[in-house]
Amino acid sequence: MGSQVKLTELVRGLKLSVRSADGDLEREVTGGYASDLLSDVLANSEPGNLWITLQIHKNIVAVASMKDLAGIILVNGREPEQDTIEKAEAENIAIMVTEMPTFELVGRLYGLGITGTK
Amino acid sequence: MTAENKISKVQELVYEIRVGDVMKKNVITVGPQDRMSEFGKILREKRISGTPVVDQGRLMGVISIDDFIRWLAERQEDCPVERKMTKNVRTLYADEPAVQAVNKFDQLGFGRFVVIDRRDEKLVGIITKGDIIEGLLKKLEVDYYDEQTNHRTIQSFFDDVLADKAALFFQYSVTGHDFNKAGETASRIKTTLKRLGIAPQIVRRVAIATYEAEMNLIIYTEGGEIRVRVEPHKILVRVEDSGPGIPDIEKALQPGYSTAPEWVRELGFGAGMGLQNIRKCTSKMGLMSVVGKGTQLRMNISLDDGVASETN
Amino acid sequence: MTLEDVRKILDAEFIACGELLHRDVKTACGSDLMSDVLAFVKPEGLLLTGLTNPQVVRTAEMADLGAVCFVRGKKPDKQTIKLAEAKNIPMLTTPLSMFESCGRLYRDGVVSCFECGK
Repeated sequence: MGSQVKLTELVRGLKLSVRSADGDLEREVTGGYASDLLSDVLANSEPGNLWITLQIHKNIVAVASMKDLAGIILVNGREPEQDTIEKAEAENIAIMVTEMPTFELVGRLYGLGITGTK
Repeated sequence: MTAENKISKVQELVYEIRVGDVMKKNVITVGPQDRMSEFGKILREKRISGTPVVDQGRLMGVISIDDFIRWLAERQEDCPVERKMTKNVRTLYADEPAVQAVNKFDQLGFGRFVVIDRRDEKLVGIITKGDIIEGLLKKLEVDYYDEQTNHRTIQSFFDDVLADKAALFFQYSVTGHDFNKAGETASRIKTTLKRLGIAPQIVRRVAIATYEAEMNLIIYTEGGEIRVRVEPHKILVRVEDSGPGIPDIEKALQPGYSTAPEWVRELGFGAGMGLQNIRKCTSKMGLMSVVGKGTQLRMNISLDDGVASETN
Repeated sequence: MTLEDVRKILDAEFIACGELLHRDVKTACGSDLMSDVLAFVKPEGLLLTGLTNPQVVRTAEMADLGAVCFVRGKKPDKQTIKLAEAKNIPMLTTPLSMFESCGRLYRDGVVSCFECGK
């Protein structure tokens, strides 16, 4: 894989809706990480990863911030809780949402050149 | 064995026995091209009141002694039976539970049903109410050969089925906080319902709803009881515990609302989807709770709307 | 595709019911939240998950799933494997991440078995 993909291109290409930090979408994505277990993401994700999850409570922002992730996509039509959005704005973490389930979203991201960390 | 036990055994049997187990297999039939005069001869010789009309194994209709008398009375010319037979015959499948047959006898007021095979729709037998009672008696003798079988009990049970009162009860205790055992009760219920011949999509819905309810007992309470009642047209599940109770039921019913601790979330539950899920799987759901006293969850799954939602 | 094809695509190995390797796999989902699986997954799909507790097998049993594949090289304990054998639920384990596993299967034609969340 040559040039890296930016969040803006994904938002456009996959029709994602942005829920927080929409001024910070120029970040490049180093890879994808799909998990609904916070401990797993803390242990195994890499900086710059795009995180795909069903979890919506504000702890996801803390995890994304701590691991320096590129952003979070909430799947299956899930909406972030209000305090999740507030925290994400404060920490400058982009949260995007989609109606797609994890399997399909990851499949389409994969098709755009984003791969798993290992 | 107590009388109560015996009743429940009979109740279980009527769900277990298939139409094909108790029907009469050697059926006298006529072909659509057979003449009415020949049919009259068969009626006399075999002393029967009617026969299915069959063409190469497939059921075309039924012809009865009433049709024959009408034909005689009208003094019409001899003709093929297919011109006088009743088409659109109500049938039973050989793999249906006997309890379905009992219900159809009652609903439609028929004395007998033609039985066909589900796969090729070919005629395989004929069944009367008497055949079902006889089948139950035989089965009971096999199971309890040393017991004096009480014919009256069975007859009165049979009346209960007709009156839509027949039900099977199962009751299970669930221990709180034992996460490794979570799902054992739902699994048992699933196995039992499958054995009773309930349609797979219904079994799946009951299994999922019961599993979520069992999980709630384990996560939030010291344990409780799950009672399942199988009736001819619906399955009722009642889940009861003795505390701590839900302070705000309306909130608890909101998707995504959860008071589950993080360890539960890390195990894949407690995301506030359980009650949603139960609602989705059931035809009706009721939740009552008193803080400090306990919670009662009632679910009602109709056996009749399973066909419409086959894909779920 | 069959479970055996899945095994090859994900460099996976069977850990329960390997004799069912010819079972058909048309749909899949990736999730670590069992309630979501129970709520939205259609029967016969393949579940990809990072969870390895017995509830994964129970979920597969209740929802009539076709198979389970654990990601990131995870393996459940012996009790859980025995339970899967008893319930006739094939299980595999892959060294790949959830993201990479979903991506590869989607690329090779498997579709999502999630009904979109209401």
